[in-house]
Formats: sequence, C-alpha cells, structure tokens
Amino acid sequence: MEFIYQYAWLIPVLPLLGAMLLGLGLISYGKATTQFRSLSATFIVSLIGAAMVFSFALLWSQLQGHPTYTRMIEWASAGDFHLNMGYTIDHLTAVMLVIVTTVAFLVMVYTDGYMAHDPGYVRFYAYLSLFSSSMLGLVISPNLVQIYIFWELVGMCSYLLIGFWYDRKAAADACQKAFVTNRVGDFGLLLGILALYWATGSFEFEVIGDRLQSLIESGALSSGLAAFFAILVFLGPVAKSAQFPLHVWLPDAMEGPTPISALIHAATMVAAGVFLIARMFPVFEHVPSAMSVIAWTGAFTAFLGASIAITQNDIKKGLAYSTMSQLGYMVMAMGAGAYGAGLFHLMTHAYFKAMLFLGSGSVIHGMEAVVGHDPVLAQDMRLMGGLRKYMPVTAVTFLIGTLAISGIPPFAGFWSKDEILGASFAANPALWLVGFLTAGITAFYMFRMYFSTFEGAFRGGNAAIKQQLKTEQLQRMGLAFGPGAMNPQELMAEAPDELHGSDDHGDHHHSEFPHESPATMTLPLIALAIPSILIGLVGTPFANYFEAFVHPPGEVVEALPPLEIPADFEWGEFLIMGGSSVGIGLIGITLAVMMYLTHRIDPAAIAKQIQPLYQLSLNKWYIDDIYDRVFIRGSRRLARQVMEVDLRIVDGVVNLAGFITLVTGEGLKYLENGRAQFYALIVFGAVLSLVLLSGIT
Amino acid sequence: MNTANFPWLTTVILFPIVASLLIPFIPDKEGKTIRWYALIIGLIDFAILSYAFYTQYDLSNPGMQLVESYTWVPSLDLKWSVGADGLSMPLILLTGFISTLAILASWPVTLKPKLFYFLMLAMYGGQIGVFAVQDMLLFFLMWELELIPVYLLLSIWGGKKRLYAATKFILYTAGGSLFILVAALAMAFYGDTVTFDMRSLMAKDFPLQFQLLTYAAFLIAYAVKLPIFPLHTWLPDAHGEATAPVHMLLAGILLKMGGYALIRMNVEMLPDAHVYFAPILVILGVVNIIYAALTSFAQRNLKRKIAYSSISHMGFVLIGMASFTNLGLSGAMLQMVSHGLIGASLFFLVGATYDRTHTLILDEMGGVGKQMPKIFAMFTACSLASLALPGMSGFVAELMVFVGFATSDAYSFTFKLITIVLAAVGVILTPIYLLSMLREIFYGPENKELTSHEVLVDAEPREVFIIACLLIPIIGIGFYPKLITQLYDSKTLQITDSVQNSLTTREERKANPEVLQAERSPAIGES
Repeated sequence: MEFIYQYAWLIPVLPLLGAMLLGLGLISYGKATTQFRSLSATFIVSLIGAAMVFSFALLWSQLQGHPTYTRMIEWASAGDFHLNMGYTIDHLTAVMLVIVTTVAFLVMVYTDGYMAHDPGYVRFYAYLSLFSSSMLGLVISPNLVQIYIFWELVGMCSYLLIGFWYDRKAAADACQKAFVTNRVGDFGLLLGILALYWATGSFEFEVIGDRLQSLIESGALSSGLAAFFAILVFLGPVAKSAQFPLHVWLPDAMEGPTPISALIHAATMVAAGVFLIARMFPVFEHVPSAMSVIAWTGAFTAFLGASIAITQNDIKKGLAYSTMSQLGYMVMAMGAGAYGAGLFHLMTHAYFKAMLFLGSGSVIHGMEAVVGHDPVLAQDMRLMGGLRKYMPVTAVTFLIGTLAISGIPPFAGFWSKDEILGASFAANPALWLVGFLTAGITAFYMFRMYFSTFEGAFRGGNAAIKQQLKTEQLQRMGLAFGPGAMNPQELMAEAPDELHGSDDHGDHHHSEFPHESPATMTLPLIALAIPSILIGLVGTPFANYFEAFVHPPGEVVEALPPLEIPADFEWGEFLIMGGSSVGIGLIGITLAVMMYLTHRIDPAAIAKQIQPLYQLSLNKWYIDDIYDRVFIRGSRRLARQVMEVDLRIVDGVVNLAGFITLVTGEGLKYLENGRAQFYALIVFGAVLSLVLLSGIT
Repeated sequence: MNTANFPWLTTVILFPIVASLLIPFIPDKEGKTIRWYALIIGLIDFAILSYAFYTQYDLSNPGMQLVESYTWVPSLDLKWSVGADGLSMPLILLTGFISTLAILASWPVTLKPKLFYFLMLAMYGGQIGVFAVQDMLLFFLMWELELIPVYLLLSIWGGKKRLYAATKFILYTAGGSLFILVAALAMAFYGDTVTFDMRSLMAKDFPLQFQLLTYAAFLIAYAVKLPIFPLHTWLPDAHGEATAPVHMLLAGILLKMGGYALIRMNVEMLPDAHVYFAPILVILGVVNIIYAALTSFAQRNLKRKIAYSSISHMGFVLIGMASFTNLGLSGAMLQMVSHGLIGASLFFLVGATYDRTHTLILDEMGGVGKQMPKIFAMFTACSLASLALPGMSGFVAELMVFVGFATSDAYSFTFKLITIVLAAVGVILTPIYLLSMLREIFYGPENKELTSHEVLVDAEPREVFIIACLLIPIIGIGFYPKLITQLYDSKTLQITDSVQNSLTTREERKANPEVLQAERSPAIGES
C-alpha cells in the first residue's frame, strides 16, 4: 500500500506534463499541433483519467484506515530558516482528489463536443490540464506557503481561461477583473500567513493552531490581534470563493467557455476557499470572533447571491450567482463550526453544480445553432423555452440538478444543505433564518430557470425579443463608454462582428430549432446525474459516513456500524428541520410554477409593484457600480496624479537644476583656467573637510 | 597548467575588451560576420567564467575567492585586484548570461554595426569588472568606464529624444559617482595607513560619525543607479529611448550594480551606519514600490511603463537589505538576479513588439494577439513572472523579503506592520498595471488602424529562443530556489552576522550612553 503513497506526487504531475507538452508543441510547432486535435485531447483526457484512478486508489486506501502520509523535501533555506514542500494525503485530501479528478475528467470529455468548432481547441486542453494540475497540487499541500503558491497558480489558470476568447472585449475585462480581485484577497492571505508566521514561527496548520492557542492563553498575544490575523487569512477565501465584498469577479468570469465555468467557477477552484478554511480549522476554531465573521460573511453572501439570481436572464450569470450563494452556505457552515457539513456540501455541490453548468453549456450549444455565436442571444433565457422537446437528456439532467440544489429529498443537495441548516441553528438561530429564507429563494430561482428554459413554447425565432436584447446590450455598452462617446449606429455596425468571436465558427447555424448535443456532451451529464442523486446518501443524519470520515484534525469521531440507525438518533428534530426546509423549498417551487409555468401570476406586474427592490436585484445591489466609481476610477485618478507629480515636480526639479547649471556654467567658464592642479585642489579640499568634519564631531 | 592559479577573472574581464579591439579589422560591410563574431566571443567568455566558477569556487566559503592582485601604479598604491564572493559571483554569472543574450538580441541592428558590437563587448567586460574588482579606486574607474559605452549606445541608437536621455543619464550617474570618489578617498586616507583595498578598508575601524557621512555619500551615488526615489528620473528617459539590447543590459545588469554596491559597501563595510540608515532604506523601499507602481499604471508609453515597474521591483531589494535577517538579505540578492532575468525578458519583448507595431503608445495598439500568438504567449508568461506569480523566481524573492522583514527583530511591531502592509499593496498594484498593459496590447478586437498599415509577423525562432533561455532559469528558480540561494548563502549569513552585531552594539549603547563616549574619545585622538 505504501507504494501508491510514494508515487502520489504523480497526481498533479501527470496533467502538468500534458500541459507542458502541448504548450511546447503550440509554441514551437503551432500549426502542426493544432492539427492533432483528437490525439492531444485523448492524451490529456487519459492523463487526468490516470490521475483519477490513482485518486480512487488513495481514497480506498484511506477508507481502509491507512494513516496520514506526508513527504517533504527542503525547498528554500537561508541560514537557519528552512521551508519544506511536499505532499500530504489524509482523509480530506483523498476526498478532494476524487472530487477534482472526477469533475475534471468529465468536463474534459464534455469539452471535446463543446469546443469542437473552436480554433483554440488544443490550447484549451492545455489550459485545462494546467489548471487540473494546479488544483490537485493545492489539495495535497501540507503547509500554508505551498497552498499560497498553488492558490495563485489556480488564479492564473482562471485568468487564462476566462480570457480564452481574448478578442472579445468583455472577456478581456473579465479576466483582468478576476485576477486583480483575487489578488486583493491574496494580499490579505499573504499578510495573514506572514503574521501567523511571525506569531508562531510555523507554516504548518496544526502547529500554528496549537501555538496560537497557547499564546492566547498565556496572554502573549491578545485575542483581538489573533482574530485580526485570522480574518486576514480569511480574505483569501473571501476572494477565491466569491464571498461578499470580493464576489464581483465571479459573475463576470462567465465570459469564459462554459466547461471552464463548470470546472473552475463552480466545482473546484471556487471551492478552494472552503477547503482552505477547512485546512485552517485548527487555527480558526480557537478564535471565536473570527469564526462569527466567517459565518456571517457566508450567510450574507448566500442571501446576496440568491437575491440577485432571481432577476438574471443570462442563464450562466444566473448559475454564477447561485454558485456564489451556495458557496456562502459552505462558508457559513465552516463559520458555525460545522466542518463536516460544509465539506459535505462542497462535495454534493461540486457534482450537481458542474452538471447544471454543463447542462447550460449544452443549452447554449443548441441555441447557437439557431441564433448564432452571440453570447447575448444564445445565453438569454428570454429566447429559450420549450427546449425539453428538442434536448431531452439535457432537460432531464438539468431537472435533477435543479431538484438537488433546491433541497428536495432524496437528491444530494437536500442532505448537505439540511445538515448546514441544522448546524447553524445550533450555533445561532439568526444564521439559520438567513439560510432558511435563502433556501426558499434558491428553489424559486432555480425552477424559474428550469421552466423558462425547458418548458413552454420555443421563443428563439422571435425577432422582437432579439431586437430588444440587442438594444439592451447597446445601452449597456453605451454606459460603459460614457454617454455620447460614440454614435450608437456605429456600434451597431461593429458589434456583431466583434461578438462573433472567431470567424472560423462558420455559417452552419440558423436552423429553426435547437438540437440535442452530441454524445460526448450528454454522457458526462448523465454520469454527473448519478452522484447528484445518490451521493447525499453517504451523509444522511442517521448514518453519516461522510462526517465519520472527514472530520477536523484532533476531533475524535466514532466509527459507525454499517447501515444501522443509531439508537439515540432524534427523529423528531430531523423531521422538523428537514421538513421545514423542504417546505420552504416547495413554496418557492410553487411560486415558480405559478409564475413561469402556468402563468397564473404575471412576474412583470410584481416587478413593477416592488420597483426599487427589483432594480436593486437587477443591478446587483449596485455593488459593481460603486466599485467602479470608488476603486477603478479612484485608482486611475490617483495614478495619473502621481505621474503628474513625477513629471512636473520630481523631474521638473532636475530639469530646472540642469537649466541653472547651464546658465551658471556660462558664467563659470571665465573662472575655469584648465589647470589640473586647480581641480585636484578642489577635490582634495572636499576630502579633507570630510575627514576633518567627521573627526571633530 | 595549474588551473587554480590561472588568472580567471582577469581573463574574463579583458577577453571581450581585447576581442572588441579587433572588430575594426574584420572585413565586413553588412554587419553579418560581426554579429556572429560578437556572439561567439560572448559565448566563449560565458563558458570560461562558468567553468572557472564551477571548478574553482567553493560554495561553503564566505570569503573572497579566485583572488588576483597585481600592483598597477605603485606611486598611487593602485592595484589591479579582483575576486569573487557570494555577493558578486551570481551577479557576474548573470552579467555573462544577459550580455550574451543581448548580443543575440541585437541581430536586427543595421546602423553602424561595427561600433555597436564594439561597444557591446566593451560593456561586457566592463560590467563584469564592476562586480569583480576589489580595489576602491579601481571600482570607481570601472564604474565610470562602463558609462561611456552606455552613453554612446543611447545617443546613437536611441529613439527620438535620445540625446536628452543620454545626457541626463550621464549627468545623473557621473554626478552620483563623484560621491563615490569623495567617500572612497576619505575612507582610504582615514587612519594611519593609506589603502584602497576593500578588505583592508573593511578592517579599518571608522568612528560612527565618519561612517554615517560616507554611508550617505555612497547612498546617493547608488540611489541614482538602483534607482531610488527621488533620484530615479533618468531611468524612464533612458529606458524609453534605448533599443532592446541596450535595454536588456540597463535593466538586467546596470541596475544591479546599484544594489550590489549598496550591499558591498554600505551594508558590509559600514555596518554601524547601516543600523542608523536602515529605517530610511525601508521607507525609501516602500515609496519606490508604491510610487513607481502607480506611475507605471498611469503611463501610456510601453517602455516607460516597464521602466517604472523596474523601479518598483527594486524597492524590495532595499527592504530586504534593511531587514537585518539572513532571509531578507538573501531575498534581496535573489530579487536582483530574478529581476535581471525578468526585466531583460520584458524589455526584449517590448522591443520585439515595437519592431512590429512601430509604436509604443498603448492607445495605438490593441487586439494584436490574434496575429502574434507566440509573442502574446511569451509576453503573458513574462508579465506573470514580473507580477511575482508563484512558480517563478520573482515570487520566491518577494516572499523571502516579506518573511525576512516580518521576522526581523530590529523594528517595532507597528513599523513592521505598516511597512509590510504598504509593500503588499504593491502586490495588488503590480498585476493591475501589467495585466491592463497586456489587455491593451493583445486583447480585444483588432485595432484596424494598426493592422491596416503594419504587417504583424509572429515571433521568429531567434526570439523564441532568447525568451526560452530567460524563462528556463526564471521557472527553475521558482520551482527550486536553492539553485541560486546556495550560491551566496554562506556570504549573506556572514554579512547578517556582522550587521546583527552592530545592531546589538547600538542597543547596548542606547542602554548606557557612557559606552558611546568611551568609544568615541580615542577616535578624536586618531585623527
């Protein structure tokens, strides 16, 4: 058994090799490499497949009760400072490895169909592989520095992949926004790591936790300062897991190709924040004020995301806000001390959200056949409807995902969400209330999404809606450019050309109705549907195998006897908690049915009645506008002012000095006599006075 | 032949200079033979110096190695004495590496090729000389000599404002080096014996006031070179006008001379004064980081943007130097080597982009990524390296500086906190200006105005090769930093011990001021 642990480093290295090989091929023999499409795809997919098999072997071995395995090498040293890097395989790592490799594998299979017509097909696989490698490196990291390294690397991959269609202006803006926002979080994380190292002299999670606790107890470190350090570290997850106030990058990140949204911006990378909180749990749990900050940040984000998702018309943006909201649940669970519940939701969410995103990709793929390669048209739900008839597999799997996220038993989301709600009720009923309300909103907006996409009549041929969407887009762009910057007609002429992305997409669209996606896309959907239905059963409250396996370090959890409900299990409590969350979910679904399926209630009328609230949600609580005004324009103005100072004052003094010298030089010309002794005298005098001056004082 | 006694360093310095003198006699009108000649000389020299260090240099020895000393002008006590230790050895290697690549990068130069390559080879030797010499007077001479080729390279092959830039450069640096001369002479004539030898100077016991004055003089001189705010304004002009190969030398090597000399003279020779000046260095370092990053963000000219980013990165060298920890000093050294590689690669790519777009103004570019995917990819990789992405050398250097400073015991908690927070703001600002630069050059829809009158060809193999040569060590160090840090670890440890000693002495002096009086009185008697 030892043998698979010794070679566990291969898991991140295999995809890295694939990415390097393709990357080198693209740089040195660009044309040729682009030709070998299926070869490079098969190569990359089989590498991640091998990593997946390996991960399953490790999980199995960990389930057998194999102890934690750690291997380190010295990475950097200076004097008595030594920094080690390596990998560690424990229960949490094993579970994360399996989640990441399975989702990555399925997404890569799916990519073959989705990106089939894209000229950047091979490059896309190289990036995907590079991302998988960094993500796998992140989950096996044994210390904070290594986590930080891979943390930034996954951020870089996300940057490259969001900007994959780099000729689209929106993608170019979005990738920069994502990277910079994440850097703000990393700024906090870096400071937190440094501060904790300063306080405890270690980068290892448990050592930091222990020493921090004893420092606080002995009074050497005030608990306020400890909380401050912990919150600095938490800033990292805030950015990466799209928590308020650093959530703004995630919805924009949907400019990347849909497989990326599924893999990076739903299932794996954004969950890295939750993973880091789990790893830092030994530190956080001794700092109660930090824990409550975490819990409330999560709760607020959950609500914020859900409240914005209600009014989104872009199917991917809607899912993005939903991801943000679900991540809020996980963070809230962590903050409430429910370590197992948070990670359980991470796992179930990874599967059903990846499936939902891939489903939305399948829908977009189908819609593109009708409306063309224009994200404004192909992703808007107002043009969809009735797709169930044309794309049955996509519809059924999407419905499963919708049921799972809405918390309907026995789908996966029910068990994990219910556990979070239960734990947060125990921690603070106010937290529970926020989570409970959000659960209702979630069910509502997800069914709104399902109904307007797959039920009713197909609206894709409706020219009036298309025109309206185009006008809205122009208005948005007009706002971005500033009023009067450009003649709208001019934009109209240019916009379609720009938004087409690559011209190689060809003119094979404009069929009248969408079609079901190819098997490479539907098979991953079906494969993901299975865990979305069943995986919740490993963590039912009466037989919680998940929590028995994944629990905070140091906490002893008794092993469960197989398939037996413990005698002291409180059915009553479970039924009340579970029942109420199912109840509010059903209310949300009923509302969605009346508004979007049977059209008993007119959503537009409601929107008109609560106009301010509707606008608040539609405009994402105006957070982006505020940031734009304060940070983006503010920093630009500041930078320009600094440059002015540099140019006019700092450099101005120099030029002035030059000018004065020129003038006085003209005068001095008559003093200089060209005798070397005279100059030597001056130098000698200067030296002498320096020596004397120092000697006397 | 006994290789141990062979004058390796003298050979390495003189070989390119002698070879450059032969250039006028090579019959070549178009400059094609000359460039191969120069490249081969560069390669041979780099090979010699690598071999010399590989066989003769002992990593565990912190002292001066490969020492040679010949009396040159006996009446002035001027000696040709060279040597290498942990501080200079990595930088000499870097010099050989970057200069050779710079010669390869000057392939497209067609104007007066003979003079150009003559100057490049002369620079090659001169730069190694600056890092290798062990005599103060000789150091000053080398420092001045290397200015002349730069001046000519700037003023003949530069851009539109080249004369202004070149004059500014020479006035600034020459003005700065006056301070070196004065301070060096003062140090040499102080006390009983007159000597210019660095090791003998180090052994001299200077009183604190004298140390403070000479420290200040050196600081001004090297602040021009590094550069440190507010003496930095020659750099954007010089960089803005230089051609790509000269650029690579300026950013890759010349800036490092400032950092090297600061560590060699200010920190190593004047440790007592360093204790007093260190907080100032830290503050200047922070100002450098933030001020230059903001200016870079506002710049619309590509070359000036990257030039300011160099200034910003040099701030970390200052902070590391002033941290009084081995880790910090080690990080400062690594930052110099790392920036030498990254800066050279970025400037080379700017030059390559300019060769195609014929503009440096960002507003006139846009969407060229489609036609130049290789340049796009390389530019992205080098920008990511510059913004300290983990896995590349810049990250390790900055991390070491940060951790070193955080664990320093020389400063109060509040001072450290503020410094680290402000320096870390640079971590946010760097990606802002670098990524928006990438966005404005490569991303977005194609700029029709540009593509209509410029033929945008993608990178040729020579260019890919140069970038690959630079990226391999960048990534190599990023993955395994001990590759470089082990080269100088013993030396930085020694320096840190000595400054730590000075630090404790000062603490003791603070505790009982009489000691200070007692120490000072014999100093008056001496002078």
